[in-house]
Amino acid sequence: MAERFNEVVLPHLGDALALARWLTGNAADAEDVVQDACIKAHTGIAGYAGGNPRAWLLTIVRNTSYTWMSRNRPRGMMAVGDLGDLDEMAAAHGTNVRDEDGPEASLIAKAETAALEKAIAGLPQPFRETLVLRDINGLSYRDISVMLSVPIGTVMSRLARARSLLASELGERHDRP
Amino acid sequence: MTAHDDGLPNDPEGIMLMIHALVDGELDAAAALAVERRIAADPKLAAEHARILALQGAVGRLPRPDVSDAFRARIAAIGTASAQAQDEAPPALPGLIAGAAQQRRATDTRPSQARPSPRARRFGSFDWRAMAASIVMTAVLASGATQWVMFNAASDSVAAEIAGDHRRSLLAASPIDIVSSDRHTVKPWLDARIGVSPPAPDLATDGFALIGGRVEVVSGRPVPALVYRHREHLITLVAEPQQGGRVTEPKDVSSGGFSMVHWSDGAFSYWAISDMERPELDDFVARFRKAAV
Repeated sequence: MAERFNEVVLPHLGDALALARWLTGNAADAEDVVQDACIKAHTGIAGYAGGNPRAWLLTIVRNTSYTWMSRNRPRGMMAVGDLGDLDEMAAAHGTNVRDEDGPEASLIAKAETAALEKAIAGLPQPFRETLVLRDINGLSYRDISVMLSVPIGTVMSRLARARSLLASELGERHDRP
Repeated sequence: MTAHDDGLPNDPEGIMLMIHALVDGELDAAAALAVERRIAADPKLAAEHARILALQGAVGRLPRPDVSDAFRARIAAIGTASAQAQDEAPPALPGLIAGAAQQRRATDTRPSQARPSPRARRFGSFDWRAMAASIVMTAVLASGATQWVMFNAASDSVAAEIAGDHRRSLLAASPIDIVSSDRHTVKPWLDARIGVSPPAPDLATDGFALIGGRVEVVSGRPVPALVYRHREHLITLVAEPQQGGRVTEPKDVSSGGFSMVHWSDGAFSYWAISDMERPELDDFVARFRKAAV
């Protein structure tokens, strides 16, 4: 059991910390959350039926993050009722919100770390978690769809919306003197 | 833009999603080829494709949190600790004794301090010396043997048991099985041994320092206990996992010369016991409840 825990959990601690850091907003809380999540993972390791171990661990980390946040800072949580509105918004304005004037790719590529991190932190939570799961944790659309219990189409529109918001944010930063 | 017959969506949003999917490696070869053709034919789509690639690259280059060696070791310990408990606990004894032995070996090697508490002596039928020979342990005896005796002889009320455990812990070589002011050490230790750990806030800034934890046996069940220190006084906080989820306000259940307060938060039923005066213990209880929410 201990070997299985080491094989399944330990290689993905970096991903687990990264996800928890983006969901909770800071690195110190992330360690607390990941530790709690690993204890849960250890208890539940018998229920891990194979498949992507990183997605399995990250699912636990995500759930633990939200439990942790609801306990430690209830006001930071977004009400569940808001999620539907956000998806509608994403669907309505999703990707064609600006037809021509996205910032140049070269501007985005030159974005400073701090500016990019601030922009990610400023994303609404469903968009932020989808972007982090895809572009930082490297999960597939299907893994994310299963983890969030939403259709793949929703994963795709959230991801497109998140990237579009980030691109505009970074573009605007450059427009400002 | 003319209609395409390549099977891709024709609305602008649909094709955008396909470009994201292309960048994310989610398309099969045929669909990827079709999307690439659309991109090649349309500068707007090409610009969007370049933006998505640039953004993904920038996000991918963000510094990732370090997994410190200390953190990795702490997580690895979650797996190892329970393996030890499973492998080494003699089947006839509660696993907590072997677990405690592991800890004591590192922290306390003074055999002279291994003395049975008066309570253990009262149940004189248990030959703790035989146990000493069998597990070659020293300091663990004072607490371990007593717990085992009480496990078998538990007939007192829970409060009296806890009072007895607390008194015994004061007489034992060490009142704690896991010595640490770090809740990141105490919680996994308890978790690994008995599969449950209560909230363990460090209240050092409030004058109540977390100094460790131990396993108590109450009504025949192992339950986690935290130990806090307030000046020269020790506070034992026994946290029995609750099934019913009842929430009760703190109630004075002092007995046997100790101050004792009992309350429940739905997840755990708590007993705080100490030789401090009631007002001080109430202060601790209030601070703990506030921090443990």
